[in-house]
Amino acid sequence: MSESSLILKKYMDLANVFNASVTVDGDTIHILAKPEYLPKIADKLFNEFKCVHRTCVATDERPLNGFFSLTHLFTDDSHGFYISLKTYLDGENPKAPSIISVVPAADWCEMEARDLVGVEFEGRESYRLVLPPGWPADAHPLRKDFQYDKRPNILPVGEKVSTNEEASTIPVGPYHPALHEPEYFELYVEGERIVDVKYRGFHVHRGIEKLGESRMTYQQVNFLAERICGICGFEHSTCYALAVEKAAKLDVPERAQYIRSIILEIERLHSHLLWLGVAFHLVGYDAGFMHMWRIREKIMYLSEYLTGSRKTYGINLVGGVRKDINEEKKSKVLETLSTLEKEFKEIVEVAVSVPQVKRRLTGTGVLPKEDAVKLAVEGPVARASGIDRDARRDLPYAAYKHVSFKVPVYTEGDNLARALVRIDEVFESISMIRQLLDQIPKGPIRLEEFEIPPGRIGVQVVEAPRGGDVHFVITGEGKPYRWRVRAPTYNNIPALRVMLRDQPMADAPLTIASIDPCFSCTDRVVVIGKDGVIKKLSLTGGVML
Amino acid sequence: MSEKLKPAKLLVIASKAGRVTKRYPYDEPLLSPDFRGKITIDENLCIGCGACVNACPPNALQLMKDKDTVVLRYFVGRCIFCWRCVDVCPVGAIKGLREFELATNDISDLYVHVVHKKAKCEKCEGEGATQRMLYYVVQKSPIVEEYLNECPDCRRKSFIDSVVKRRTGGVSE
Ligand code: SF4
Ligand code: SF4
Repeated sequence: MSESSLILKKYMDLANVFNASVTVDGDTIHILAKPEYLPKIADKLFNEFKCVHRTCVATDERPLNGFFSLTHLFTDDSHGFYISLKTYLDGENPKAPSIISVVPAADWCEMEARDLVGVEFEGRESYRLVLPPGWPADAHPLRKDFQYDKRPNILPVGEKVSTNEEASTIPVGPYHPALHEPEYFELYVEGERIVDVKYRGFHVHRGIEKLGESRMTYQQVNFLAERICGICGFEHSTCYALAVEKAAKLDVPERAQYIRSIILEIERLHSHLLWLGVAFHLVGYDAGFMHMWRIREKIMYLSEYLTGSRKTYGINLVGGVRKDINEEKKSKVLETLSTLEKEFKEIVEVAVSVPQVKRRLTGTGVLPKEDAVKLAVEGPVARASGIDRDARRDLPYAAYKHVSFKVPVYTEGDNLARALVRIDEVFESISMIRQLLDQIPKGPIRLEEFEIPPGRIGVQVVEAPRGGDVHFVITGEGKPYRWRVRAPTYNNIPALRVMLRDQPMADAPLTIASIDPCFSCTDRVVVIGKDGVIKKLSLTGGVML
Repeated sequence: MSEKLKPAKLLVIASKAGRVTKRYPYDEPLLSPDFRGKITIDENLCIGCGACVNACPPNALQLMKDKDTVVLRYFVGRCIFCWRCVDVCPVGAIKGLREFELATNDISDLYVHVVHKKAKCEKCEGEGATQRMLYYVVQKSPIVEEYLNECPDCRRKSFIDSVVKRRTGGVSE
C-alpha cells in the first residue's frame, strides 16, 4: 500500500469509529458526521493526528436542503491533505457542540458563526464577536433570507471600557499608534508590567462575504477578494481563484500558475520590507525605516511594471491571469532583484546590529511553542516559535512544486525571531522568483471557456506574507453560494495575549506590530455610525451625491 | 569592521543612495509603462450593449434607461482601474489611459455620459435595444433584418404567427 493510501485509511478508520461518511476529492477529505461526534473527531484530528485547525464555516443551506451546516476546516500539513469535517444542523434551531475545549483555536470562528449565521454553540461561554453591540440579536446577516442591502434598526449603545480593580487600564486604540489601522486593546498594567490584555476588533467588518454571495459574479469576486487586504491582496484573489478552480476542477494553464507564483513572491518581498521598516520605526530607529522603504520602492515599481498597478494588481481571474511576462520584463525583474538583494543585505546587516534595536527585539513578546500550536497561529509568528509549517511547501499550489526553497524556522519565539524569519524569507523569495522565471513554460495564460457547476466545494490555503489565507467556496449559479474567508491575523491576534503578558508596557506597540497585524482583513462587516444614524447607500443606483 | 562600528556604515549607504525623493509635480512622476489609469469611452464607437457594465466589478459603469434613451454612465469615483471593461468591449470603444490625477472641484468632471437613442418598434411603439446595437447585430448576422424594426415582444409574436401560418398553409380559420 502506498503512503498516501495508508494516510487515507487512517482517516477512513477514524470516520468509521464515529459512523461518519468519508469522500475523498482530490486533496480534500470530506468527513460528514453527526453533530454530537464533532468534538471527539476534532480532538483526534487536532491533538492526535496533529492537523492544523484553519477555520470553521457555517452555511445556510436551507434553500438547498432545509438544514444549516457547519464545517471545520483542518489541514494535514505533513501529508498535504485538506480535511473538511462537516455536519448538518437543524434548520429551525441550529445548535452545535463547541469544540474549543479540545481545539482552542476554534474560539473566534465559532463566535463568528453564531453572529453571522445564528448557530448556537453548546458547552461554552458565548459572546458577540463580529456584529456591533447594538445590532438586534435575531438578525444574522449571512442567512440567505437576509437581504444583502438591508440594514436592521440599530440601537445606539456604547461599549464600556472595562476597568480592572487591581490594575490600571491603558487603552491602546481605536487606532494602532503606528499601523494606522483600527483595533482596540485594553492593557491592564501594574507598574510597568502588563498583567492582562483584552482585545476588541471587528470595527471595520465590511460584509465582503455577503456581497460576494449576493450580487457579484465569479469573475467580479476576484477583484473584491483582492481588496480584503491592502497588503496581501493578491494572495486573497489567488486563493479565491484557486478555490473556485479546485471546486470546478479546472485545468489552469501552467504559465498562469507560474505568473501567479512570481507575483505572490513579489508581494511577499514588498510586505516583509514594509514590516521591517515599521519595526525599525517602532523601536525609534528611523534611519533604518527610511532606507528599508527606499529599497522597497523598487519592488513597488516592479509590481506596477508587471501588473499595471502598485497594489491591487487586478490580474487574477478564475481560470488564469490577465497579464503576461515577456522577455523584456523578465530581464528587468532579474536586474532589479540583484540590486535589491545587494542593498537589502547591506541594510539589514547594519540595522539589526544597532545595539538598541537588538536589545529591544531580543527576548520581548515571547510566544512559547505550545501556545503557538494550541492557538494555531500562522506564518512568521508560527515559524518563529518553532513550528515548521509553510503552505507553499506542505500544500503546494500554483507553481510552488517546481521550485526549491528553505522554510526558515527559529525557536526563540521572540520579536527578534519573527524579524529574522522575515529577513530570511526575503532571500528565499528572491531565489524563488529567479527559479520561476528561469523555468516558466510557454503557452496560454488563461482558459477561454469553462463551466462552473453548482454545488461543488473548494478549499484552499495560500501562504500570505503573514500566514495562511483560507478561502472556502461552495459554488452556486453564476456566483459563489457560500464564500468564506479567513485572513492569517485572525488566528494571530489571540496569541497577543500570551505575548504581551508579563512584559513591560513599553514593548507593547512593537509586540503588537510583530505579528504584522492586518486588522481590516480580519474584520469583514458593516460600520455603523456611533450616533445610530444609518446612512442609506443605494448599491444598485450607484453612490448618491 | 568591528561590531560596534557597523551601524556607522549606514552613512556610507546613505551617501551612495543620495536624494531619492521625486520633486513631483515639477519632475515627471514615477510611472511604469504598464500603469493602469482612468478609462475613456469613444462615444462614436460605443453601441450601448452593456458588456462593460456586466463586467465592471464596482459598478463604476452603469446603464440607465428611460423611455427613449439608454445612457451609459462612467463614474470615475468608483472606478478601480482594473480595465476589465477594456477587455470585454466588443467594439473597442473603451481605452485605458495613464491618467491618474483625478482630483477636481467640479463634481461633473467625475462623470462621463454616453447617450444612445433607443430603437422604436414599428408595430407597437414599444422599445428594444439601442439603434446602434441593432446595426451592429445586422452587420454580424444579416438574417434578423426582417424583424429588425420590431421590439423583442413583437418579434416573438411575428415569429409565432409565421409558424402558425406555415402550419395552416397560410389560411387562418
Ligand atoms: S476600469 Fe474596471 S472599475 Fe473602472 S470602469 Fe472599467 S471595469 Fe469598471
Ligand atoms: S461594452 Fe463597449 S460598446 Fe458595449 S456599452 Fe460598453 S463601451 Fe459601449
